[in-house]
Amino acid sequence: MTGGHRRILVVEDDPETAGQLVDSLTTSGYQVDLATTGNEALSRGVASDYAVITIDRMLPDIDGITVMRQLRDDGIAAPVLIVSALGEVDDRVRGLRAGGDDYLVKPFSFVELLARVEALGRRSDTIVKETVLRVGDLAIDLMSRTASRHGKAIQLFPKEFQLLEYLVRNEGRVVSRAMLLQHVWDLHFDPSTNIIDVYVGRVRRKVDGQQAYPLIHTVRGIGYCLRAPG
Amino acid sequence: MLLAKTLKSSTFKLALIAIGTFGVIVSAIFSYVYLSTSAYVRGRSDRAIMTEYLSLQGAYERSGRDGLAALIQQRIADRSFAGNVYLLVDPSLAPLAGNLEAWPSTAAAARGWTEFRAAEQPPGAANRPLLRAMLETFPNGERLLVGSDIGDLDRFTDRIKIAVILGIALIFVLAGVASILVTRRTVGRIESINATSRAIMFSGLDKRIPLRGTHDEWDRVAENLNLMLDRIETLMGEVKQVSDNVAHDLRTPLTRMRGRLEKAYHGPRIDADDQSLIGDTIADLDAVLRIFSSLTRIAQIEAQARKGAFRTVNLVEITSEVVELYDAAAEQDGTRLTIIGDSEVLVSGDRDLIFDAIANLVDNAIKHGRAGGEVVVANETIDGQPVVSIADDGPGIPIDQCEHVFKRFYRLEQSRYTPGNGLGLSLVAAVARLHGARIELLDNAPGLKLRLWFAVPTG
Repeated sequence: MTGGHRRILVVEDDPETAGQLVDSLTTSGYQVDLATTGNEALSRGVASDYAVITIDRMLPDIDGITVMRQLRDDGIAAPVLIVSALGEVDDRVRGLRAGGDDYLVKPFSFVELLARVEALGRRSDTIVKETVLRVGDLAIDLMSRTASRHGKAIQLFPKEFQLLEYLVRNEGRVVSRAMLLQHVWDLHFDPSTNIIDVYVGRVRRKVDGQQAYPLIHTVRGIGYCLRAPG
Repeated sequence: MLLAKTLKSSTFKLALIAIGTFGVIVSAIFSYVYLSTSAYVRGRSDRAIMTEYLSLQGAYERSGRDGLAALIQQRIADRSFAGNVYLLVDPSLAPLAGNLEAWPSTAAAARGWTEFRAAEQPPGAANRPLLRAMLETFPNGERLLVGSDIGDLDRFTDRIKIAVILGIALIFVLAGVASILVTRRTVGRIESINATSRAIMFSGLDKRIPLRGTHDEWDRVAENLNLMLDRIETLMGEVKQVSDNVAHDLRTPLTRMRGRLEKAYHGPRIDADDQSLIGDTIADLDAVLRIFSSLTRIAQIEAQARKGAFRTVNLVEITSEVVELYDAAAEQDGTRLTIIGDSEVLVSGDRDLIFDAIANLVDNAIKHGRAGGEVVVANETIDGQPVVSIADDGPGIPIDQCEHVFKRFYRLEQSRYTPGNGLGLSLVAAVARLHGARIELLDNAPGLKLRLWFAVPTG
C-alpha cells in the first residue's frame, strides 16, 4: 500500500456504528472522513480523492445506492463498499449492479470490514502486471496455473490454485472466510460449517508441509493471511 | 333471524326482480289471452245475431209485416233457436210478435246494437238474463229487435278472467315462496360458513364447516375452505413449532452470553479471562446471527422471491464444485466422497440456491454417514427427469422420522450432539419447493439415499 493514499470516506448515519468504524479504521492507519447523510456524502465525495468509500444503504435523506450512482455519474471512481442490514441476495446483487465493488452485511466484524477495505484499497492503487507472483520462496505462475516452493512443484487442484492465488494477491492482508467463498467459489452465503477451514487446511498442508517456514497463517476469529517471515 | 337475513340477502333481491319482470310478462300474456278470447266469443255471438237479423229482414222485405210475424212465431217455437229473443212492434211500440213482453226502455236508438237486461227473471237464476240485440226501424215506423241471451258468454268470459287472475296470483305466490326457500337455503349455507369463520376468529383454527354430504357446489366450496383451513392450521402449527425452537435455540446462546458478561461485570478485570470471555461471546453471537440469517434466507426462498434469477444450469458443474469444496472435509473425516453419473444434466434454476442445497446434503451425508464410509453423489436423467442423488452408508433415517426431518430445527435423537442447527434440510426443502423439485428419501441399505427430482427444464 502506497503511503499518502489512505483516506477513506465513511457514510453511516448511526452515531455509534459510525464512531466504531472511524475508530477501527483510524487505528489501522487510515485517515477517515465521516458523512452522516447522503447529501453530505455527495459533497465530500466529489471534494476529495478517496482510496475507498463505505456507504450504508439506509440513510436518512437519500438511499445509499442513489448516492453511489450519483458519485459514479460525477466521475468518482473510488471503490465503494456497500454496508447494509438488507442482507439478502437480491439486495446484494442490486447493490453490486448499481456500481458497488463489494457488499458487507450488518452485523459484521470490524476485522472483516478492515480486510475488505484493504482489498478494495489495493485494487485502486496497484495493478499486477507480472504473470509470476512471488512471496518468500513461493512462486505461482498465473499463466500455467502452477505453484512451486523453493523451486519444487506443488500439486494443486484448480480451486486450490485459485485459493492460493487469492491469498498471494492479498499478501500481508487478512482475508476472511466469506471473502474466500466469494472470490474462489462465487458463493454469497455462509455454508455455516467449518468447510473453508478444512479446505484451507489441505492447501496449507500442500504449501507449507515440510518447508523451512509457514506462509499461510490463521487469523483467529476472521480468516487467513499469507505472508513471508521477517 | 334467518328469515330477516333471507329477506335482506342479495339472492332474494335478485329473485324479487326476476319475479317482478316475469310477473309483468305473464300478466301481459294472460290479459292478451283473456281479451282475445272474450272478443272472439262476442264476435261469434254478434255474427249469429246479425245472420238471424238479416234473414228476418229479408222475410220482412219479401212478405211484409205478417210474413215476418209468422216467421218470428216459427222461430220461437223452434228449439234450435232457443235463447234468441225477437220483438216486432208497431210505431207506438205495441208488441206485434215476439218473446219479449215490452220494447226495452234503453233501446231508444233507431238501429244498431244494444244490451239490456230482460224484464223478468227466470226461476232459479241469480239475475235477470243479459241480452244483446240488433235494432232496426222500418220505413213505416215499425221496429224489429233480434237478439240473444249472452249471459252464458258473459259468465264464460268472467270465468276466464277469474282463472287468469287466480293464475297470476298463484304464480306470484309460488315464485315468492320458491325464492324465499332457495334464498334461505343459500343464506343458510353461507351462514354456516360465516358462523365457522366467526368461530375460528374467536376460538381457533380447529373448527370446520359442516358438510351436508350432497356433493353439490356448496359442499365443494365448504370442502375447499376446509382444506384451506387444514393447510393454514398446519402452517400455523409449524410457525409455532419454529418460533418455539427459535426461542429455544436463540435463548441458549443468549443466556450463556448474558451469564458470562454478568460474571465479568461483577468480577475483577483479568486480561486473559476477559479475552477468552469476549472471544466465546463473539462466537456465540455469530452462531445466533447464523441461525438468524438462515431463517431469513429460508423465508425468502419460501416467498419465491428469486424466480427471476433462474437460468439453465448444469447440475454436474454444481455438484462437482460442491464435491470439490467438501473433498477436504471428507478426507479429514476419512470418508470417500465420489461423484458419478452423466456429464451434463441441465435444469432450470438458481445456481447459488442449488449449490447451497446440495452442499447441505453433502455436508449432512459426511457428518451423519459412517466415519470412514462412502458418500456418492450421482447425476442422472431418469425417465427424462433430471435427478441428483446423494447417498451415504451411515445409520440412515428411521422411517417414522422421514416426514419430520425437513422441519425447521428438527434434529434426530441420534444426531443431537453433531454440530448443526437443524435448518439445513429445511433450506433444502425450501429450495426444492422453489424449483418444483421432489425430494425422495430411500433406504440405501445401509444408509440414506436422498434423491432430488428436478422439473424437466423448459425451452
